[in-house]
Amino acid sequence: MASITINNVWKYYGDTPAVKDLNLVCHDGEFVSILGPSGCGKSSTLRMLAGLEHISAGEVLFDETKVNDLPPKDRNLAMVFENYALYPHKTVYQNMANSLVIQKVDKATIDEKVKHAAELLELTPLLNRKPLELSGGQKQRTAIGRAIVREPALFLFDEPIAHLDAKLRAHMRSELKIMQRKLGTTMIYVTHDQLEALSMADRIAVMRDGVLQQMGTPKEIYNNPTNHWVAGFIGEPAMNFLDCNLGTVSGNTALEHSAFSIPLTSEQSQNLLGSGAEQSVTLGIRPDDVSISTNPSEKHSIEGEVLVTELLGGDMLVEAQIEGSRVTVKTDPSYEADMGDQCYLAFDSARWHLFDINTGSTLF
Amino acid sequence: MATLEVVRYASKTRTVINVLTTIFLGVFLVWTILPFFIMFVSSFKDLLDAFALPPTGDFRGVGVFFNFSPTFKHYIELFTERNFATYFMNSLVASSGSALVSVVLGAMAAYAMSRTDFRGKDHVFFWIISTRMAPVVAVMVPLYAIFRNLELVGTLPGLILAYTTFNLPFAIWILKGFFDNVPYAIEEAAMVDGRTRFGAFLDILPLAAPGIGAFIVLCILFSWNDFLFASIIGSGGAKTLPVATRELVTPTSIQWGKIMAAGVITSVPMTLLGLLIRRYLVTGLTMGAVKE
Repeated sequence: MASITINNVWKYYGDTPAVKDLNLVCHDGEFVSILGPSGCGKSSTLRMLAGLEHISAGEVLFDETKVNDLPPKDRNLAMVFENYALYPHKTVYQNMANSLVIQKVDKATIDEKVKHAAELLELTPLLNRKPLELSGGQKQRTAIGRAIVREPALFLFDEPIAHLDAKLRAHMRSELKIMQRKLGTTMIYVTHDQLEALSMADRIAVMRDGVLQQMGTPKEIYNNPTNHWVAGFIGEPAMNFLDCNLGTVSGNTALEHSAFSIPLTSEQSQNLLGSGAEQSVTLGIRPDDVSISTNPSEKHSIEGEVLVTELLGGDMLVEAQIEGSRVTVKTDPSYEADMGDQCYLAFDSARWHLFDINTGSTLF
Repeated sequence: MATLEVVRYASKTRTVINVLTTIFLGVFLVWTILPFFIMFVSSFKDLLDAFALPPTGDFRGVGVFFNFSPTFKHYIELFTERNFATYFMNSLVASSGSALVSVVLGAMAAYAMSRTDFRGKDHVFFWIISTRMAPVVAVMVPLYAIFRNLELVGTLPGLILAYTTFNLPFAIWILKGFFDNVPYAIEEAAMVDGRTRFGAFLDILPLAAPGIGAFIVLCILFSWNDFLFASIIGSGGAKTLPVATRELVTPTSIQWGKIMAAGVITSVPMTLLGLLIRRYLVTGLTMGAVKE
């Protein structure tokens, strides 16, 4: 087991920076997910940890040891690649045994470890097959098996389940999490799928354009996003954003939009005081925190028009138009409305966020 | 699903084309097979039998061609009197030696060219293949001078070196295509598994095996059939089969029987090699060209 410390790491490809001044700590035994859209530098970071990519500046420590100049073989880690990278000319067994064969472990031990991993991953009947004869899910399990057999101090997973079909992906999410908890090995898991990160990781590092945006537990990231971009990237369906103005209603600070004017809570007003917020701000509110009604009431006071409804089994998404802005609402499937119907929305002011309209940083 | 079947529609033109195609193929078959056939049959004939030909136009007299008592004396004489065993070994050592050296050096160079990027890489790559653009004859005189000074003329290592200078660029060029097709992630997986860079290179060699196999065959064919290098660089101590065969033509006589037998000895091993690895060779040569 090992803890990972990334100190002021930069990665350049030619003159283009891919990772900018990255600082990140992954504790011993922790499951950390690096999350971001493609091209955000998450894979480069992982490859630098693996030793497959040169570190342009900064340092990477495994426990107390600086590993910048150690080749991959001396870092005691195992990596699962996006496209599995199995040896096509070797059987499942040989693929899994490879690292032990290289270490010249005796045959009986290899056999025991491979069979144990195969059992864990339900690969036992496939041990004599070659990768060409395996399905995507089987290949992926073989690749994970190869990593487990090695018993490394660190697992690096590079979007390992991105190419599986949706059902298998959901299954593998929980399997991987259980596996990591059982083995207790430190894991760094790169993904572009926020659902994977939220559901599996102990902590998530959100990256964008080579810059770390936020690092925290899934709850922290979901509930207290550090800026407009993180707020929009995390959560499905995505957060609603509305451009508003700050005004005063009967002495209290209030959020004003052409369709509504809602006072902030006193705590929120306090938060705004020292922040140097300007007149215009961006309101962010998750579809879960908006409620919808067919009839106006004191609570449901924001008038809108239904654009479309999407039934998602247990939930229903309603997209409504309010004065030129679109708002997605997550509601009960019992809500019935057709396109063009009037609707009335209510925002849960305790759960909304305000962002600086220029910098995008979170005001509260 | 698309198939490889060619769809044909019956028509008069089609019938005419079919007949013409069959005639052409027939003539072409005779044209290519007959010399080998005559060589093979004549190598078992006495000189008199070999020259017993029916008069021109007498197609019924073709039986004369097969009317002979087979003899192995040409083969026996080649090996007892003319040292053909040595020449055969020289050919074998020179061609397989050169193939081995070219494939080892070529695979490493091709791997480097495939996996690394450096300034002027395209120029280096072009320079490598450009060494094959001049005809062999053009460089023969300076090459001979160099080899003579290094005392390599008439030795097997000299001949191997000479073939390698021509096979190596070819090896790099062909094998680079094969390495380009091997996913980079497999080597990375090997390195993470605990291999050094060189170990990872060895690990992916089996994936380039069709290319390596195809190249070795082409390389052996080139050196085995070569006459120019063998007669000039190899003359004397490293005489190979083609040169030895040429020496059967002397100012006083042309030993037809022995020449035919030598031709058989020279071409049979390569034909067998070709048949043996035919499937391998075809997949090898096409796999390098097509990106998966």
